[in-house]
Amino acid sequence: MDSKENSGNGNGHNKYSGEKLKSELLTVNMGPQHPATHGVLRVEVKTDSEVVAEAIPHIGYLHRCFEKHCENIDYRGNIPFCDRMDYLAAMHMELGYCLAIEKMIGTEIPRRAEYIRVIVTELQRIASHLLFTGVYAIDLGAFTPFLYCFDQREKILRLFEEISGARLLYNYIWIGGVWNDIKDGQLTRIKEFCDNLIPELDKYMNLVGQNKIFVERTANIGIMTPEMCYNYGATGPILRGSGVDWDLRKKKPYSIYEELDFDVPVGEGLKGTVGDCWDRFAVRQQEMRESVKIIKQCLDGIEEGPIMGKVPKVLKLPKGEIYMKTECARGELGYHIVSDGGKVPYRVKAKSSCFTHTSMLPEVAPGLLIADFVAVIGSIDIVLGEVDR
Amino acid sequence: MNTHQEELTLKKYFQNIWNGIRTTIKGLSITIKYVYDVKPVTVEYPEVREILPEGSRSRLFNDAQNCISCDQCAVACPVDCIYIASKPRPKDAEKIKTSNGTPIRRELTQYTIDTSLCCYCGLCTTVCPTESLTHTTDHEYASYTIDQMKYDYLDPEVVAWRDRIVK
Repeated sequence: MDSKENSGNGNGHNKYSGEKLKSELLTVNMGPQHPATHGVLRVEVKTDSEVVAEAIPHIGYLHRCFEKHCENIDYRGNIPFCDRMDYLAAMHMELGYCLAIEKMIGTEIPRRAEYIRVIVTELQRIASHLLFTGVYAIDLGAFTPFLYCFDQREKILRLFEEISGARLLYNYIWIGGVWNDIKDGQLTRIKEFCDNLIPELDKYMNLVGQNKIFVERTANIGIMTPEMCYNYGATGPILRGSGVDWDLRKKKPYSIYEELDFDVPVGEGLKGTVGDCWDRFAVRQQEMRESVKIIKQCLDGIEEGPIMGKVPKVLKLPKGEIYMKTECARGELGYHIVSDGGKVPYRVKAKSSCFTHTSMLPEVAPGLLIADFVAVIGSIDIVLGEVDR
Repeated sequence: MNTHQEELTLKKYFQNIWNGIRTTIKGLSITIKYVYDVKPVTVEYPEVREILPEGSRSRLFNDAQNCISCDQCAVACPVDCIYIASKPRPKDAEKIKTSNGTPIRRELTQYTIDTSLCCYCGLCTTVCPTESLTHTTDHEYASYTIDQMKYDYLDPEVVAWRDRIVK
């Protein structure tokens, strides 16, 4: 009996006959070390070697216990920790935290500090989207735009080094205002940078966005309908790329955004359907132009005055809790701070947008080719520091 | 299915070819300008060194002569990388002051900063009352072992940096 089964001769009883052969899906780790997953994200992909059947993301490789650390360190000392969550858009993280605490104690922030905060935050949004453009192109194989975008980004980082002292993790936006003042020479240089940026943005759109290969690889891929975005709680450029007009700077304004005049770009499906990867790319390009508009208005309207409001030296928050949400470069960032009256917060929870966006991957993935899956991961612009905190 | 394909007609086939040629030429006309007459932005380190701006937060330096051992920097540090030990000066010693007039009442016996733990946030320099602890712009201090990253600011070799740093 055994010899007949293992004989391999064709008489219908060998194990290689047609009825006994079956195919299985191959489980492959798109592992934590991967050049295209933007950090340490592990995606367990079940594939028949070309088309993805199932994708399960596993996170936690960059967990650094941010929320637990915050329970042991006083309010001012937590700001360097907040920077390190989303290290590519650190000003947004600091701004959300400081606005939450200021709302709870009710301080008045001087006008000059508000203008400086908005200028710095919008510059940081431009820097983050420039990095997105370069890195998305390099994921899809185009090496040139990466260095063009990083050349512009380098100018922003040099400006930040003069203003705040550091290139990437600033500790600049403090409770009650900002740390250092901006001098007039630096304001002139910000204006020059903004004037030089618009032709560069046109260049990137022509070089990358209109290119036929890029359009073929990103249009009609990874369509996220508005209903899917509502179900999962997606915010930011993903929601706007699906056609929904929702920007926290307009709907629930904070700081001085009510006085500024800018538009909110929304995806329209110019090269494919609404909500595909190309729309999300185009929304971010348009957002950079709107940020330049905002910066120019702030540069015209900046007033003289102090840069720090009145905050007691030993900061104790009243008992209570607050949830403050702001629009960061990747979506909605929320801080839920619970205080029991002491010098140290009782609980700080940061709601990060990238965490919810990573949870949309299992629904978008089935049916995509593996190369398209890489394009989808790139278009949601995750930074694992924010996902894992 | 999350993808959406349209059908391919003969007209679409030739349109695709024309679009491909047109957009490639558009892209090439942008990149070909970088072949001639463009100044490279590369800084050829280490022959050319970039000068960091003044306020840049790099390695810390503590001027031990001016330190009054108040412990504020160690309390403010979020990662606890400053180790300070001090003892009170004897009552009959001469009265000395720092460079900005604060009397020195304690004597510093140990002042070590573990630079490998430091997160360069600058909170310690803000609270120093005599400004003896400052950020310098030294950024080239990699070492072979992690123990060498503990800087003892009472060591005469480190105190000798004072001539270069303190104005």
